[in-house]
Amino acid sequence: MQQRRILDEFTINRELLRGNLNTPKWWLPTVLGLLVVVLFGFTLMGIMFNKGVGVTGLNRPVYWGLFITSFVFWVGISHAGIMISAILRLTQAEWRRPVTRAAELLTVFSLMTALFFPLIHAGRPWRIFYWITPFDFSRGIFPNPRSPLIWDPFAIGTYLTGSTLFLYVALLPDLGVLRDRTTGWKHSFYTVASLGWRGNPRQWRLQTVAGILLSALMLPIFVSVHSIVSWDFAVTPAVEGWHSTIFAPYFVIGAVHSGVSAVVTMMALMRWLWGWENYIRPEHFDALARLLIVVATGWLGFTFVELIFGVYSLEAPERALREMQMFTWPWNLLFLIFFLCAFAIPVPLWFFKRVRNNIAMMFWTSILVNIGMWLERFLIIVPGLARKQPFVFTWDSYTVSYLEWGLLLWSFAWVLMLMLLFSKFFPLIPLFETKESQLFTMDVKIGRANMPAVIRE
Amino acid sequence: MRLSRREFMTLAGGSTVGAVIFTACGVPADELLVEAPLDVPEDLVKGIDSWFATMDDSGLGVIVRVMEGRAKKIAGNPDYPVNLGKHSVHADAALQALYHPDRVEGPMRRRAEGQPLTRISWDEADGLLRQWMADADGNLAIVTNPVRGGDARIASDVASAFNGRVMFFDPLEQGVLHRAIKTVFNQDRIPDFDIGNARTVLSFGADWLGTWLSPVRFGLKYGDFRGGDKRGFMIHAESRMSLTAAAADRWLTVNPGYEGDLAVSIANVIVSEGLVPATNIAAYSANIPEGELAKWAPSLVAERVGVPAERITEAARRFANDGPSIAFGGGSAGAQTNGVFNLTAIYALNILAGSVGAKGGIQFNPAGAQGLPDSATGASFEEWERELAQWRAGNVKTVITHAVDLVHGFPRSVDVGGALDNVENVVAFTGVLDESSAHANLILPENSYLENWGLDVPEPAPGYEVVGFRQPVVNAPLDTESRARLYDSRSFLDTLLQAAGSRVDVSSVKDFVDNTVDDLFATGRGSVTAGDRRLFMNGVLQRGGWWDVNAGANTEPPSSIPSPIAVAAGPGLSELEDRVEGHVFTIVPFAHQSILDGRNASTPWAQSTPDPITTVAWATWAEINFDKAKELGISEGTWINIRTTAGEITVQAYPHPGISPNVIAIPIGQGRGEGVGGRYAEDRGSNILNILVDKKESETGALAWAATRAIVTKAGGKKEFPKFEGDARDIIRPVEGGVPILIVKPGQTAHEAEEYNHEQHLRFISNKE
Amino acid sequence: MVTAAEKVSGHKWGMAVDVDRCTGCQACVMACQAENNTTLSTEDVYRQKRTFAWIRIERYWYGEFPDVKARFIPIMCQHCENAPCEPVCPVFATYHNTEGMNVQIYNRCVGTRYCGNGCPYNVRFFNYWEPVWPKSLRNQLNPDVTVRSRGIMEKCSFCVQRIRRGVREAARDGRELQDGDIEPACVEACPTNALVFGDYNDADSRVSVMRNDDRKYTLLDKLNTFPNVVYLAQVDATEGATGGHE
Ligand code: SF4
Ligand code: SF4
Ligand code: SF4
Ligand code: SF4
Repeated sequence: MQQRRILDEFTINRELLRGNLNTPKWWLPTVLGLLVVVLFGFTLMGIMFNKGVGVTGLNRPVYWGLFITSFVFWVGISHAGIMISAILRLTQAEWRRPVTRAAELLTVFSLMTALFFPLIHAGRPWRIFYWITPFDFSRGIFPNPRSPLIWDPFAIGTYLTGSTLFLYVALLPDLGVLRDRTTGWKHSFYTVASLGWRGNPRQWRLQTVAGILLSALMLPIFVSVHSIVSWDFAVTPAVEGWHSTIFAPYFVIGAVHSGVSAVVTMMALMRWLWGWENYIRPEHFDALARLLIVVATGWLGFTFVELIFGVYSLEAPERALREMQMFTWPWNLLFLIFFLCAFAIPVPLWFFKRVRNNIAMMFWTSILVNIGMWLERFLIIVPGLARKQPFVFTWDSYTVSYLEWGLLLWSFAWVLMLMLLFSKFFPLIPLFETKESQLFTMDVKIGRANMPAVIRE
Repeated sequence: MRLSRREFMTLAGGSTVGAVIFTACGVPADELLVEAPLDVPEDLVKGIDSWFATMDDSGLGVIVRVMEGRAKKIAGNPDYPVNLGKHSVHADAALQALYHPDRVEGPMRRRAEGQPLTRISWDEADGLLRQWMADADGNLAIVTNPVRGGDARIASDVASAFNGRVMFFDPLEQGVLHRAIKTVFNQDRIPDFDIGNARTVLSFGADWLGTWLSPVRFGLKYGDFRGGDKRGFMIHAESRMSLTAAAADRWLTVNPGYEGDLAVSIANVIVSEGLVPATNIAAYSANIPEGELAKWAPSLVAERVGVPAERITEAARRFANDGPSIAFGGGSAGAQTNGVFNLTAIYALNILAGSVGAKGGIQFNPAGAQGLPDSATGASFEEWERELAQWRAGNVKTVITHAVDLVHGFPRSVDVGGALDNVENVVAFTGVLDESSAHANLILPENSYLENWGLDVPEPAPGYEVVGFRQPVVNAPLDTESRARLYDSRSFLDTLLQAAGSRVDVSSVKDFVDNTVDDLFATGRGSVTAGDRRLFMNGVLQRGGWWDVNAGANTEPPSSIPSPIAVAAGPGLSELEDRVEGHVFTIVPFAHQSILDGRNASTPWAQSTPDPITTVAWATWAEINFDKAKELGISEGTWINIRTTAGEITVQAYPHPGISPNVIAIPIGQGRGEGVGGRYAEDRGSNILNILVDKKESETGALAWAATRAIVTKAGGKKEFPKFEGDARDIIRPVEGGVPILIVKPGQTAHEAEEYNHEQHLRFISNKE
Repeated sequence: MVTAAEKVSGHKWGMAVDVDRCTGCQACVMACQAENNTTLSTEDVYRQKRTFAWIRIERYWYGEFPDVKARFIPIMCQHCENAPCEPVCPVFATYHNTEGMNVQIYNRCVGTRYCGNGCPYNVRFFNYWEPVWPKSLRNQLNPDVTVRSRGIMEKCSFCVQRIRRGVREAARDGRELQDGDIEPACVEACPTNALVFGDYNDADSRVSVMRNDDRKYTLLDKLNTFPNVVYLAQVDATEGATGGHE
């Protein structure tokens, strides 16, 4: 994994600041294109606020649908950041370095996007304040601590705060570089943003310690965020297919599956768009694919266990649900696509080194995974509600409205647009980490022995 | 006591674990119990409400909750003997008729045919009415829904003051029923059916728990019939799954028109097996020629009747052995060319069972108190044909209609519209414009019953004299901003009386009510005792009526009856068979559970109440047998054409298992065109009455409204119904028995049934694996 | 189960439904609508499958023609003692009161619809649209019942406004509440007396007696929701097996 060109610091700066110091040709049209979709999405939200949740396809009994699916999906994607920057950092996986920032960024933006969904999904979103704030507004009633809907905002809020801090701390040295390379208002901006970064030893020490501490602090979030999201479902005994004790770990590993896949997608894009072949290299994809094989297999195990738990009890409603989920049109088609995309197609392919090292193949397989994982959430949420309890009289299904599809589209455009905007002002690949990693991998010959040039902290 | 840190930690940890285990084992129902420090809005009830007793337009005693002059809720009057505080789905809808946004706001006149209606003043309207009634002296027709009591008396007084007549109209007319009651029991009014005390109920054709006669009263009695240890057994013969058929323990899928044959066949079993005392048999067979009854042996009639012989025998044995028993019927059973035969054969069974005048049987009603009209039925179709011929010939100068929509209610072949167009002056009293309004020259906005005075005698009465009182209980609805009257409406009868002037000796309905109160006070008996007349009046109005439980009927039951079989010898049955090609069905129209014959169609509550069987709302559907539909490639929502020799309509099909394969059942009451019936009813569904063939009952000339044959074909396409039930109808139910309806055998406990169901379910699952 | 609620309040309200008496006539359904200012279920609302019916009549088919039966069961909020709708509400808009009822504070509800998922009986109804009535029809609205706005959940309240009024009027007149003094609108309407309402804390009340009937069962028993609405099983007096599969 260590075979690569050793680049001098100047080249690193030039190449990695390619997007910041000059603007690629495709950048503006793409951002504008995305902006159109984003504005369209905000218009749709405006319509929802104005007319009410009635504009969705939701009904009774299917009270939750595409919005909650997308909420879970984007929270899942956000696990990219945790996986890459916390776990891999703490385990000192060297190859993580070029992608840490992008992964963390994806985390921040996907969390911000995820939060939109429960908000617009609520009947009276303008009342959000006493939903999530532990403040009694002279009513004498705090929010209900028994409801997972209270813990969702806490968990996600913590995650968002942590990730943002983490992102910022890691950005400081690079901001310093940018400050030194810009003039005019940009210079002023970077001056303020870099918080007086000088790169002296004390600052480096503080920055490193802060990074490690934040990584460690965020580890519990790794477990808690998607566990809590899963409890939105798991504590609902009324809905078949929801009240499963396996949900927390099942959701967490599913989130890692989709999050890491999203990182793969993003890495391929970065390599293509900014020509960072020197930094994002096949061995990165190889490493992630190996990781994904493990994660996906673990996740599949949970999926099977979940199904078996459901069917093993021979409870009639549970069986009815599974029958619908897997064997009734059009759910059977969705189920098939889900299974093929989330596991059956990508994982066997990843066993081949040629595939793992082929950027295009990795790009498309990682996209498949996320199509599959979105469907997984949809297939958990909707059929359970549509076949809730044995009162067959009330069973009814749900058709997603155009507005909801529009907002799903919005969410992708929104995340992409934010990423591209960020890429214009901040380096997507951390300069200092790249340089640091070069130092770590440089050897000096002392006598007959090869010694690392730098001893790690 | 000294406590080391280690001991302290141990103790603390231990007790925490203990506490967790302890609480976790309980049900956390009252954990974190929260009471709002502010009251829930519903905890604060404000204002003073008054409940006033009155009488609704279907003869139910109601109480109306009024706040600040506005009616808020209608409920059954707990004192009123007919319904004892209960009411039907129909009662509440009156609120929306009162405050209907499309109520006619003021009098309107059409100056010439084809011209639009223009608003006029009441003065002008009164003048016109007065003049048109005077002009029509000798040829005035007042057309109204069948009304009894004071309403009937006043209407007929007005009509006769102008040498005219009152014509009652009822789309699903019950004249045949009255004739059969007269034939079998020699009664001029419908008796009370003591269902509550019966052990076996045998009914035919009529949906008495849904819409027939007095469903609230029957419902009350049905509750008693089901309640307690004496739970009765109910057999109902009808070709479609009405609410009554659904409630029955045994549903007999009789072919329409053969209800009489079924009844005689039941009699055949009882007589041949000698199941009842010989005197009863003698009374029953007095006029039946020797050997005649044998022709109705179950095995001989089973096929044409559509009920297996063993079911006929079972019904007969239960009816005869497990008394008190009662047999009654009507509805579609009477709406046949042989309707009188059917119904006489049915009611005659009571003589066989000895249940005439007995507890749990047929109980006769006295004549209306103070000579008030106590029975009403629509004029027969034959009479209507004669009347309409007069109209068409231009012999009738003025027709005044009230609470009927003739154009909607008659078969299209009759062309009521054309007849109305030949009448010089057509005055229509109405709440919301209806289909007949297009043929009227003068539209007069009519009060809701909540704004009127009135007197009613219920039919069927509860076995003794009852007079129901109607009084105005609301203020005229006002516009919330301008405080102007929303609807400048008046009482139909008061307007007529005013126009009649001195020709009639009462000047208003209130006058008539006062006179009756004087008379009732003078009798010195009944439910209200008061020292003076004013207090008496108060008492009567407070209780919503006057009744005397001691004033029962003193009519003796007849000792023998005319032979039902002799009646059958008339024409009747053969006429059922039309020669039409294709998939032939008998059309069974039925009154919609909430919009009834269409009189509630304008109110959104009635429209939005799901039909109990299909759960469809806001639409017309055609019920067709599930298997038969499959055979024809028809599924739920498929558009089908229903064609008779009189025309064709297109409706959506609702296949279900609860209907005979040769029958197609369609609710009436919808099918108004654009601009008719108000915003909630216009342009909605279709009207089966329009394409009924004008066949008549052979004895009475009544319209045989359930005897039309039709060909059913697919019209192409389908559409989802606006319906209440979910989309899982066709899914085999993989659900344990007893969910959500637990069914027990008599004497079995719920627990036993649940265990049994669970065992069955496990067996079902393991067999399926 | 005796809850803290019961200890605090003198009453524990409950309903008993005799399925054997119910004819499916829908009188209760309309009466509840009229009493509780429920939004009109227009044709559009029906087509969107968002029909409102705080009490509904479920119809099930049993058997095959000609031995087929349509059976009806009225289902309203079961006022579960251990209500799955309550713990999931983030804002305590739905909670248990001291009289054994599950109550809904419209003002607090933010419209997450979580409680709707939580309720196994599907008796919670969400206002997807702002309810509208033509101006004249607003005259009929019951002043004792909040007119809900869009975005909130609603459900059978046991006609709490009638309970409050009944209790207050009894206190005002200085009399003891008798069994039957308080009748929710659906109970008041029901022609067959299939619905009975009363106080479980009064051992002689009709609901208490019915709760001890041999035919008593509760819906979805195995979920341990401990409903305060009990049902009396339907009786099938014909031969053949009970229940079973359709
Ligand atoms: S029936 Fe549903 S809404 Fe009512 S208390 Fe139980 S869970 Fe809550
Ligand atoms: S919809 Fe309202 S009552 Fe239900 S859980 Fe959400 S906030 Fe609570
Ligand atoms: S108790 Fe009241 S709110 Fe509940 S269903 Fe009956 S009428 Fe409706
Ligand atoms: S009113 Fe009574 S009988 Fe009618 S549907 Fe309701 S519960 Fe059943």
